[in-house]
Amino acid sequence: MRTLAWAAAAALVANQIAAQSLVSRVDAVRDGRVLMSFAARPGVCGDGRGSVWIQSSRITYASGDREFVCITGPVRVAIGRADKQTVSVRKWVGGRWSSDASDVDLGTVQASEAAHYLLGLAHALAGNSADDAVSAAVFADATDLSPDLTKLIRDDDASLETRKQALFWLGESDFPTADLVRLRESLKPFALREHYTFVLSQRHEDAAIDGLIEVARNDPDSEIRRRAMFWLGQTKEAKAINFLRDILTR
Amino acid sequence: MRFPLGLSLLLAPALSLSAQSVSERVTSSDGLVQVIYPSRPTACGDGQSTISNVLGRSNYYSGNSEFSGHGRWFDRPCVHGPARAVATVVGREVTRLRVYVGPVPTASAETRSMTLTASEAATWLGDLASRGTGRVASDAMLPLILADIPDPWPLLLRIARDDNRPREVRRNALTWLANGVTDHLGIADSRDDSEDDEMRTQAVFVLSQRPRGESVPELIELARSAKHASARRSAIFWLGQTGDPRAADVFAELLR
Repeated sequence: MRTLAWAAAAALVANQIAAQSLVSRVDAVRDGRVLMSFAARPGVCGDGRGSVWIQSSRITYASGDREFVCITGPVRVAIGRADKQTVSVRKWVGGRWSSDASDVDLGTVQASEAAHYLLGLAHALAGNSADDAVSAAVFADATDLSPDLTKLIRDDDASLETRKQALFWLGESDFPTADLVRLRESLKPFALREHYTFVLSQRHEDAAIDGLIEVARNDPDSEIRRRAMFWLGQTKEAKAINFLRDILTR
Repeated sequence: MRFPLGLSLLLAPALSLSAQSVSERVTSSDGLVQVIYPSRPTACGDGQSTISNVLGRSNYYSGNSEFSGHGRWFDRPCVHGPARAVATVVGREVTRLRVYVGPVPTASAETRSMTLTASEAATWLGDLASRGTGRVASDAMLPLILADIPDPWPLLLRIARDDNRPREVRRNALTWLANGVTDHLGIADSRDDSEDDEMRTQAVFVLSQRPRGESVPELIELARSAKHASARRSAIFWLGQTGDPRAADVFAELLR
């Protein structure tokens, strides 16, 4: 057990050093674009121009043009820098750079290192940049990102949209449903709790139905309870339908 | 006074003639025609836009798309008065129909006016609802219900069951029938007074969104026998919205 703990700690330290390395390489650029690419996880492909398609056991996800030639990886990320600050993040899957001389191309970086770095960046970003940082990270062929995603979801200083997106991707990951159910206790903003009912509904598991029933029964906000009921109604689970029927006879 | 259904059917040819003669008068020339007739005793309105208390304490807005009064629309005066159906006639055909209740404003010089009995107006409006083109047929339903006649529901049931009528017209007939049913059962005004009621109403809505094979039988059962009035009212409403032919049979049964 102790050996395992040491191994985990060593891996964490190694990750931090690697991430610092990436941080320092990006931070060294005062103005302009920093380009990097890394391996996409299996099932992720794109057209190199912005459209992305994911096929996995849990999710079929399409973003952008649905009629495209799907190229498997890599994930390409361009980080915009201005006055030593990261001001934008853009991502693509597949394709090649059309870079100019002022770009700093870091080449191929380790996928896990990039994913952790991008999720760290997302805390301070908003809009499309935050979207692209989070989605590029979850497209990476990376080790478990759930601690990073959970941290982002719980960050009251991060934008609400970014937190919602992190919650969505956490729900689509292999994060255990029981842990997803427990996450509810730390979700305070209305928009996040509302989104949570949808995320939970996408887990077609008994524990998720129980979690939604718990929200429908006990959330202090009646609107959130209504949303949970709506998603319960969209399932095919007898337990969910019986819960709705019980409400009508109480 | 209520006519038995059989008597209504016997009267049908005569009523049809009456509808024809009113229709001929309305469409005799192009332009605006306002048909004024007695409204049901509970109905009230401001004569220009809002109508209330038609079935329970329901409210309708029939004014122009821009509300021109002061304050909120539900703060408008609600005065009992005649119903006024304003028909737009183009090419000797009614192409648009609006209805108002309450004080009758002075008509412009170009607007023709006709004053009818409630029965005459209902016959004409029933004819429009039964045979008119889609939009006008649907538009004729509220003015028909507003007429101070015993019972518009048999006609609306016929329309709802008529496979030759456009789906939208039949669906609108079901919507009005649902309102008629809740009024008839005395639950039109049952509101979600408690959070439990709100949750029951939501539960009915959620069940109504299930695949039709499941939702319609469930809604029928709730419409017939839901324990709580708010749930029953909601089930009747959503059953009407399904457009399912079984809804008309259930509504006929509940209107007896």
